[in-house]
Amino acid sequence: MLPGRAIFSNRSDGVTPMTAHERLPQNRPIQSDFFGAQTAWEMLSEELVQKHITTGCQDLDDILGGGIHCKEVTEIGGVPGIGKTQIGIQLAVNVQIPDEFGGLGGKAIYIDTEGSFMVERAYQIAKACVQDVLSISAIDGKVAETHRKKMNPNVFLANILYFRVCSYTEQIAVINYLEKFLAEERDVKILIIDSVSFLFRQDFDDLALRTRILSEMSLKLMKLAKSFNLAVVLLNQVTTKFTEGSFHLSLALGDSWSHACTNRVILYWNNDERCAYIEKSPSVRSASSGFSVTAEGIRNIIPSHKKIRIL
Amino acid sequence: MHQHPWQNGMELLEDVLKNKNCISTGCEGIDTVLNGGLRKGQLTELAGPSSSGKTQVCLCTALHVADKEMGEVMFLDTGNSFSSKRIASMMEKEIRLERVMTRIFHQAVFDIFTMFTVLNDLCLNLRQEEERNRERKLCLLIIDSISSLITPILGGKNSNGWSMMVSIGFLLKKLAYEHNIAVLVTNHTVGGERGSSKPALGESWKCIPHVRLFLSNDRETYIRNVSVLKHTSVILGRSSTFMINDGWKI
Repeated sequence: MLPGRAIFSNRSDGVTPMTAHERLPQNRPIQSDFFGAQTAWEMLSEELVQKHITTGCQDLDDILGGGIHCKEVTEIGGVPGIGKTQIGIQLAVNVQIPDEFGGLGGKAIYIDTEGSFMVERAYQIAKACVQDVLSISAIDGKVAETHRKKMNPNVFLANILYFRVCSYTEQIAVINYLEKFLAEERDVKILIIDSVSFLFRQDFDDLALRTRILSEMSLKLMKLAKSFNLAVVLLNQVTTKFTEGSFHLSLALGDSWSHACTNRVILYWNNDERCAYIEKSPSVRSASSGFSVTAEGIRNIIPSHKKIRIL
Repeated sequence: MHQHPWQNGMELLEDVLKNKNCISTGCEGIDTVLNGGLRKGQLTELAGPSSSGKTQVCLCTALHVADKEMGEVMFLDTGNSFSSKRIASMMEKEIRLERVMTRIFHQAVFDIFTMFTVLNDLCLNLRQEEERNRERKLCLLIIDSISSLITPILGGKNSNGWSMMVSIGFLLKKLAYEHNIAVLVTNHTVGGERGSSKPALGESWKCIPHVRLFLSNDRETYIRNVSVLKHTSVILGRSSTFMINDGWKI
C-alpha cells in the first residue's frame, strides 16, 4: 500500500524486502523517506502503462488523451438531451472490453439518481460493442474461443452493478458504503453517477450545509478513485448563471463544486452537431471535438463533417 | 548557536540573505509580480476560479525547483490532479528527466486529519535530518488544494473546523520558517459582491498566508492574469499576464 516503500523491494541484488528493511538505516536513500510518498518518476512509469477507457468516439478519445482516465474524477455536463446518460451507459459497457482486446476488462458501478438508465439501451450498446470489437480483431486473425465466450452482451449486462438512489441521504450512504464494497469487488474499474446534482438541487434551505456535504462527498470520491484505481465519472446538469450583467449556462452546483473534479467536459450543441469541450484538465489542453449518438452508441460524427478544433 | 533568546536586525538580515532567498516559479509573469519568486520561509497562496491555471502553475513550479534549484519538492494532492506526464512534457531536455523527477514527491491526502499527520511527520523527519547534520534539500511544499480539505469542516454550529483551519495555517508557517521551505497552497473562489469572485475560506484565513495571488483566465484569448492581493513588499494590485501552452513558455 505504501508506494514509497516499493523502492526497497527491488530484488535485483538478491535483497528481499525483509532484509532490505533491516538494512534501512545505512542503505536507505535519503530522499525516499517521506512517509508513503511516491516520486514523480515512479508515477510517470505507472502513468505510461495505464490504460484508458474508450468513449467509443475516436475524436473524443483523442482530445481526452486516450479516453477516460483511471484514478481521476471526470465530470461530464450538458443540456438535457445532449447524451450524458448515453455516454454513461457507453462507458459502463466499454470498461468491460477484455484485456486481450485492449480494454480494461473491469466491472462498472452505475449509481442512478434520476431513473434514466435504460437497460434495453444498455443491451443494444453492449451488442454493438461486442460486434465492433470482434470485427476489428477478426481482421488481425484468430480469436481464441475462450475470448470469444467472454464477448457476450449478457455477460456485459451482468457486470454492470446498478444502484438506484432516491434521496441525497441515500446517495451519500451508497458512496460511504462503496469503500467497503470496492475492497471486496476489486474488478470494478469505473463508477458512474447519473446525475450527481439531481438530488442536491431540491430540498436544501441551507446552502452552506449543501456546500459542506458536497465538498466532503467530492473528497470521498477522490479517495475512492485513487485507492482503487478507479475512474469516477460524474454526470451533471446545467443551470443559468448571472455574471457581468448577462445570463449564461454553466454546470449546476455552483463555484465551489467546480473544483471538485479533476477533469471537466462540457457537452453542447453546435448547430445540429453534438460537441464536447474540455474545460479543465491537468494533463491535456483545452480542445473540442464533435461526437454523435447512434443506434450503436457514442461514435465519431460522419466523416464529411469531421473536424477537431484545437483551441 | 544563540546565547540569547532574541535575534538582532543584522542576524535577521544574514538569515534572510543566507537561508530565505527567493525561488523562481519558472513562470516569468508570476516571478515579475513577486520580485523574483516564492520566498523560502513564507506561505504563498494561489487563488482563482476553476480552470484558471492554479494546478498548472504548481506543476510548473515543482518542475522548475527540482530542475534549476536542484531542490526537493513535496506535492500534497487532494484532487488527483498531479500529472507526471504533464511535468515530463514541460521538460526541455529529456536527459535529466529521471534525476529531476525523482526529486518530486507526491502524496495524496483526502482529509484534514491525514493532512495533520503528514505535516507532523514531515516536521519530525526534517528535524531528525537536521540533528544528524544532513543537509536536507526540501525547498518547496505544495498543497493543491488546501481549500478542498477545509470546506467540508468549515461553518455549521461548532467552531472545530475553524480552529483546525487556523492550526493548519500555523503548522505550515512554522514548517516554512524553521526549515527554510517555500510553501505554496491553492485556494478556490466563491462568489463575492456584484457577481465578482473572491478567494474562499473567509476572513480568518485571509491573515494567514504571507502572500496572496489571484489568478484569472480570459475565456476568449486564453491569457492568464495574475494579480497581488496581499504582499509584504509589493504594491497591491500589481498584475501581470502569462499563457499556458504545451512547452510552457510564459
